[in-house]
Amino acid sequence: MSDSTNGYHISFFKPTTPRARFNRQIVIWLASIWAVAIFGFQILLKIVEKPTPEPAYVTFQNIWAKIENGSSDIAEIQEFGQVSLSVLGKIDITDGEKIVLGNALSWSLYNLTADSAKTALIERIQNFEKIESEIKNISDPEYIQLRNGLTEDLSLVLNLKATDVRTKILPLELSSGNMLSLTEDSRYNLPAIMKKYLVHNQSFLTDSRFLGFPFHYFYTAVFLLILFVGLCWVYCLRADYRDKILGIEE
Amino acid sequence: MKKIYLPIALLALPVLSQAATAATQLEGGFKVGPAIILISMLVLFVAVGIIYRAKDTTDFYAAGRGISRVGSGMAIASNWMSAASFLGMAALMYGAGYHGLAYVVGWTGGYVLLLILMAGQIRKYGKYTAADFIGDRYYSQTLRAVGAIIAILISISYCVGQFGGIGLMFKWVLGVDYTLAVIIGGTVVLAYTLISGMLGATKNMQIQYVIIIISFLIPLFILTFKFDYFWILPQIGYGSVVSDVISGIPLNETNQLYNSLGHDFAIVPSPEFAMPWDSASGQTFFQWVAIAFSLMIGTAGLPHVIQRFYVVPKSRDARWSVVWGLFFICILYWSAPAYAVFGKILSANPEVGKLAKDAIVVYTAQLGNIHPLIVGLLAAGAVSAAFSTVSGLLVAGASAFSHDLYVKVLNPDATPKDQLRFARLGTILMAIIVAAIALANLALIGQLVAVAFSLAGCTIFPLFLLGIWWSGSNKQGAIAGLIAGGLVSLIALSYFVAEKSGIILPFNDFIRYWLGAWYFAWFGAPLAIIVNIIVSKITPETPFEIRKFLVENVHS
Repeated sequence: MSDSTNGYHISFFKPTTPRARFNRQIVIWLASIWAVAIFGFQILLKIVEKPTPEPAYVTFQNIWAKIENGSSDIAEIQEFGQVSLSVLGKIDITDGEKIVLGNALSWSLYNLTADSAKTALIERIQNFEKIESEIKNISDPEYIQLRNGLTEDLSLVLNLKATDVRTKILPLELSSGNMLSLTEDSRYNLPAIMKKYLVHNQSFLTDSRFLGFPFHYFYTAVFLLILFVGLCWVYCLRADYRDKILGIEE
Repeated sequence: MKKIYLPIALLALPVLSQAATAATQLEGGFKVGPAIILISMLVLFVAVGIIYRAKDTTDFYAAGRGISRVGSGMAIASNWMSAASFLGMAALMYGAGYHGLAYVVGWTGGYVLLLILMAGQIRKYGKYTAADFIGDRYYSQTLRAVGAIIAILISISYCVGQFGGIGLMFKWVLGVDYTLAVIIGGTVVLAYTLISGMLGATKNMQIQYVIIIISFLIPLFILTFKFDYFWILPQIGYGSVVSDVISGIPLNETNQLYNSLGHDFAIVPSPEFAMPWDSASGQTFFQWVAIAFSLMIGTAGLPHVIQRFYVVPKSRDARWSVVWGLFFICILYWSAPAYAVFGKILSANPEVGKLAKDAIVVYTAQLGNIHPLIVGLLAAGAVSAAFSTVSGLLVAGASAFSHDLYVKVLNPDATPKDQLRFARLGTILMAIIVAAIALANLALIGQLVAVAFSLAGCTIFPLFLLGIWWSGSNKQGAIAGLIAGGLVSLIALSYFVAEKSGIILPFNDFIRYWLGAWYFAWFGAPLAIIVNIIVSKITPETPFEIRKFLVENVHS
């Protein structure tokens, strides 16, 4: 049917010109590849994912009940402090969560310290906090000396290895005003905070590596972009070919 | 122009002399080297703008249609690679990990849609602006005016994020507060756009692309080399950095590498950075998909992007310019996540403090102990990215104001001189409005820009898609679809603004989740299309001339 006899109607589903027909075919192909590549993969990622805890979360689950009812031993309190540090080392925690975790860490250290040394510990941390608030530059010698001293001594208390990156965070997350007890607020919020930061959606797609990347990350951040350029390139080649065989000139 | 430069000089001089005494820290303090680079770059842009300045309205709107494919591709890339790409993407990934990749995919995948569905056809339709197309295709002056207003709103929304980026970088370089930085930066970009118009802008965009990409890549090569990763192709080399962030870097594996503050190149295991829709990011699978989809259809509906296809000679050039443009864009988008992941490790020590996410690209370079002049070049690149986009947006907005509203609707007898005067007036008005909103600092740059995409996806995209691909779409359908898409946009944005103002409206949580300000187009665009189709079916069909034009000129 010619355009004039059909009243010049045209649509994607009823293309009435050779060019539109050609376009429709290639659009269907490329749009399908495009949609499956983007959304199909994310749906697959969603289907195969499993909530996978970090080792720190497993430790937390094992000791939390005892910490809560006050029946934990020294090793368990050390583990509790270590777990709190594991989350405090993550950058994106909110200020409110930081207070809760800081309370958990500080309380652990306070409990692990001999009664005779508790007051001295608080004073030492208070002194560090004072210097910390006064300095304008973190290369201040007095600040560095106090910080390193706390790192060295308190890492031993928490049973952290010297190679553990958490030792570097330890003195910076302590709070002298938040040491004496694990507050109600902390007891209520800690399980949710731990779950939020220590359980992740993982699968074979996230655990396998490709060119150093987790596979899913490579696919989304690198491969999809290559595919997009490739699809555009293919379209242009096909469109040029179409113009050539249809004798279209502008 | 003296009138414009004088206030800048008056504002800047006392500030510069005061800021020069501040200490050189990550934030604050006047930085001499970066300032010199930035100023030299701006002088270059203005000089190019003057040399290639618009001589008449055709030049101002569409650069004389004399730009080559590769050149147009570079201009598309430069026009596209805004502060949201340069600064915002890394910020989103730094803050929300894998969720940020929805923006990378959305802002690139949309070009495939744009190309296969629209680019060639838009050029063949042969109009100057998006509103021109809407007015002609839907044979309605009202729709032309509404299209122009929407184009202005989208340009304003898009520009807000850019002004935010310009403000952040001017703040960093000059050591002044954010408010003053936005005013200074905004004034300079306005002056530049007024001088050059689109012709100057297109020439400048090609220069800007080169500056943007070089300034973005050089620090990345240095970072990957310094921290002992595969530096020859950092876009691949950073994959091992991602894996290191997931598994953590203990102190005995840092190879005695430190950030500029002396902290070890170490981090606790942080799988939340790379795992999909991690609870730590606060984002869900639905939000990932909705953002990617909204950004993609928004890309195909942005007036200033569509407008770029008018500046190439033929529709074949329009198509190939998209391929080149997307390739040039991807060079930056392949690289941006690397800044986020390096930033993650380099700022892992709490002593670094909370950094402004939108400036993480620059902070990462600083923390990576890269030479201050190269960091300065990076900041200048960020400003360049924002400038190139803002100038394109202001021109698109001014075109809508002057060409579509003033000449086509209000005063058809306007002389070209009047038209140019109104274009410039529109540019100034838009810049003032944008600066005022940018000062409110409502959200991250990338998120603010995403608002413009959703707005375009709900309004312009359905009109173009159906307007090109279905002759049955008529004026009544277009109006109804526009009302539907506009309503969804209004609801989503009202809730966003209300919440930012401290007002909690009914069903706030429901609306903010399902119609978030950065992704409401996932619902609004399909709704607008469906409404358009239904109403078109039950109302008088499209006039014969329009159908004939579509068949004979656009699809033949």
